[in-house]
Amino acid sequence: MLTKEEFANNAKLGKVLTRKCTKCGHHHLVTTYFCQNCGNKGFENAVIDGKGSIVTYTIITVPPDGYEEYVPYAWVVMNLDDSELRISGFMADIKSPADLPLGTRARITGYDQRGIIIEKQ
Amino acid sequence: MEKVCLIGAGSTKYGKLEDSITDIALQASVDAIESAGIGPKEIQAGYISNVFGIADKQVHLGPVIMSNLGIPEVPSLSIESACGSGSVSFREAYANVAAGFYDVVLATGVEKVTHTGTEWTTTYFSYCSDFFYEGGAGASFPGLFASMARAYLAEFKATEEDLAMVAVKNHDNGLLNPKAHLRKKITIDDVMKSAVVASPLKLYDCCPFSDGGSAVILCSEKFAKAHTKNYVEVIGSGRGGSPAALQGRDHITTIPSTRIAAQAAYKMAGISPKDVDFAEVHDCFTIAELVDTEDLGFFEKGKAVEAVREGRTKLNGDISINPSGGLKSKGHPIGATGIGQVAEVFDQLTGKAGDRTVKDAKIGLTHNFGATGASCAVHIFKSV
Repeated sequence: MLTKEEFANNAKLGKVLTRKCTKCGHHHLVTTYFCQNCGNKGFENAVIDGKGSIVTYTIITVPPDGYEEYVPYAWVVMNLDDSELRISGFMADIKSPADLPLGTRARITGYDQRGIIIEKQ
Repeated sequence: MEKVCLIGAGSTKYGKLEDSITDIALQASVDAIESAGIGPKEIQAGYISNVFGIADKQVHLGPVIMSNLGIPEVPSLSIESACGSGSVSFREAYANVAAGFYDVVLATGVEKVTHTGTEWTTTYFSYCSDFFYEGGAGASFPGLFASMARAYLAEFKATEEDLAMVAVKNHDNGLLNPKAHLRKKITIDDVMKSAVVASPLKLYDCCPFSDGGSAVILCSEKFAKAHTKNYVEVIGSGRGGSPAALQGRDHITTIPSTRIAAQAAYKMAGISPKDVDFAEVHDCFTIAELVDTEDLGFFEKGKAVEAVREGRTKLNGDISINPSGGLKSKGHPIGATGIGQVAEVFDQLTGKAGDRTVKDAKIGLTHNFGATGASCAVHIFKSV
């Protein structure tokens, strides 16, 4: 089982913990009990590098509770280099779109009270 | 399966309402019952959609509503599917009448949140996302749709002014709707100058947080025919799902659940998108209307923006999109919205839509989803 704690520990090392189907090899980011591709129940953990490029993002100026002190910040979606998967997370100190053109290289650097942390490379 | 018909619809005004969640739901329900010209004792089941009853200290709304309608013995189901609760609930009501379990049912949707303030609603609405990856990493709902918008603008060479045109159109329609929340004419300039909520979306790209209730009466064709000449037939019903998180989707600018639900509904109805005269679609943010109208098959991918620029989606354009004003102007009481769309279609197809009537309309479609489209229902209606 992919737990939040295991995922967070890997994120702190710059890695992404995924689940790989033992039958067809399909990668899953989230906790699934059956393979989305083939329906198989068996998985093995696969740790991949947390590097990639930014697919899209927003800069939040009206935040949910707990994020007031970080405004403005970005929530980003990143393509991972080493798989077909994408991952999203929190990116600090992005004030305008000029700070983050689409395609910017980025990497996972941690996990804390702000969630999965992604930084520019 | 039995043919299913609509014989009545009702809504409160959408906006900031003083009444309790129960009273709002009851006002809409009574309105629908009276519109149908039936008595409460003819109702055999209730389907009640709501998300944040907890904000007004009343969950398990079904039995409370049925009791206050004087029919406490009638079974009810309280349904939550985020912003798509209303359409998902309507589907359950439809399916139970189609299956022959009941002849007449009430579907009521309600929401009451404006008293909680923007921070509460922003925070609690974010719980409708895939929280570990989205809300729990600082994404608000405007932020999730803003991420879709940035990808769309880049992929299809559209501009923020193009998004603004959707808001301007829906406000024009909402001006003609006495029950709309934001009845105010706006310009592209107003949208562009409004405060940024989540770049690239600005305040006027976003629907409001609204209170409100809507209700409809569904029944078997046999009951409808015996009862009235002014009814509407439900000819298509489809549902679909999407990966809960945006990161899990192949294309950020496509909502899979819309496509799946629409295909199922078109197939059941035996029609194609070009046969639809008007549609009430889920425009929680301006970008959503562009994505929706493409995923529903009205326009090719990336082409909705041209249609908006050319005015083809205006009231009585090629296809009238959101004649009610949509979520953007009519308002978005999230548990009620999907039912409110059906009420709008009922009014349009029975000659009760007043100044916002879509001329010569025979076929209307409703499209309503939960969160960023993780859950979706599409329904198609035909006048008789």
